[in-house]
Amino acid sequence: MFEPVDDVIERIARHLRRSVEIDPALDGRVMREITALPTPGGATALGKAWGWLRRPHQLTLTPLGGLAAAAALAVVVLLYRGDSTPPAPTQAESRAFQFVLIAPRATHVSLVGDFNDWDATRTPMRRTGSEALWTAVVPLEPGRYHYAFFVDSSRWLADPSAPVARDEDYGAPSSVLTVGGGS
Amino acid sequence: MTTAVTRTALPLLAALLVAGRATAQQTDPRLERLDAATRPTVAALVDSARTAFLPTEPLVQRALEGATKRASGDLIVAAVRRLAVDLGHARDALGSTASAAELTAGAAALRAGASPTILAQLRETRREALTMPLAVLADLVASGVPVDSAAAAVLALAARVRDAELVEFRRAVERDIALGAPPAAATAAAATAADVRVNAGARQQRPGRP
Repeated sequence: MFEPVDDVIERIARHLRRSVEIDPALDGRVMREITALPTPGGATALGKAWGWLRRPHQLTLTPLGGLAAAAALAVVVLLYRGDSTPPAPTQAESRAFQFVLIAPRATHVSLVGDFNDWDATRTPMRRTGSEALWTAVVPLEPGRYHYAFFVDSSRWLADPSAPVARDEDYGAPSSVLTVGGGS
Repeated sequence: MTTAVTRTALPLLAALLVAGRATAQQTDPRLERLDAATRPTVAALVDSARTAFLPTEPLVQRALEGATKRASGDLIVAAVRRLAVDLGHARDALGSTASAAELTAGAAALRAGASPTILAQLRETRREALTMPLAVLADLVASGVPVDSAAAAVLALAARVRDAELVEFRRAVERDIALGAPPAAATAAAATAADVRVNAGARQQRPGRP
């Protein structure tokens, strides 16, 4: 038959009032589980990137895309190689030119021009062979140069074997020499 | 944040501008050879040329030439200013890619009487450097060849001949003039001879036929 409701409630209450034995290692197990769980939304960007790098991925590429990527890589490599090539030294373009003057009565002759800052002390000419022959050798890069011979520190002479400088501004004669090449 | 950046960047920018201007205005020590009255004017002309991206070395050399030849300050300033103007005109005619050597030779050709149009035509005609054709043009005019004759000959040759052949052409003209030939006739004859040499060279380079 049916028990009275109060008895049933009394039995349940007694059951619930009993002391429960808890495993002493439970706390440790729970904490280990919690530590092992991933941090929700808290992974750093570096950690995510590291994780992405360690996971295998599948890359899908169309043939056209592959060609474009290869072309881009080739351009980068070529640009790098172009930048790393050292420029050719300008000295390599210079050529030696010999200047000659016949001046039998001169005691000192200097070659003076755009190539030595018009400094009469920089390029003294040497008397060679014949007593009347004065020579000097100067390396010149491509360009157009005005020059003259300064004789005995008093007279200016143009080079009789070279064109006369038409754009002479100072009255004293000058010659011009053009060295080809370059751009 | 913006205020902090402005506070830091503005003095830095001002310092950079002042330093850059001071650097640009440093006078070339070689100009110390000019007298005290002439030096600032020449230095200003050189600075102006530098600002306009013109070559400054020809201007310095022109001033030093004047100093060595003991020219007056006024003469030196006038020469440097004239050359700067010529270099600017040469650059206008030859284009901004012209080298310093080309501009110097172009300035000489303009001074000799060649027109800017001739310089521009040379630029269109010849792929190689224009230094030698422009110099030969100036030298021919200096030898007494009329500008039109010299320009026509150089334009005709410039597209096909090398620098060495242009020099040989100029020497042939000067030699004939020295022997008494009229300059225009000497130029035409030398141009024809050079043209023949070029064509002969081209024929020799063809492969032989059985």
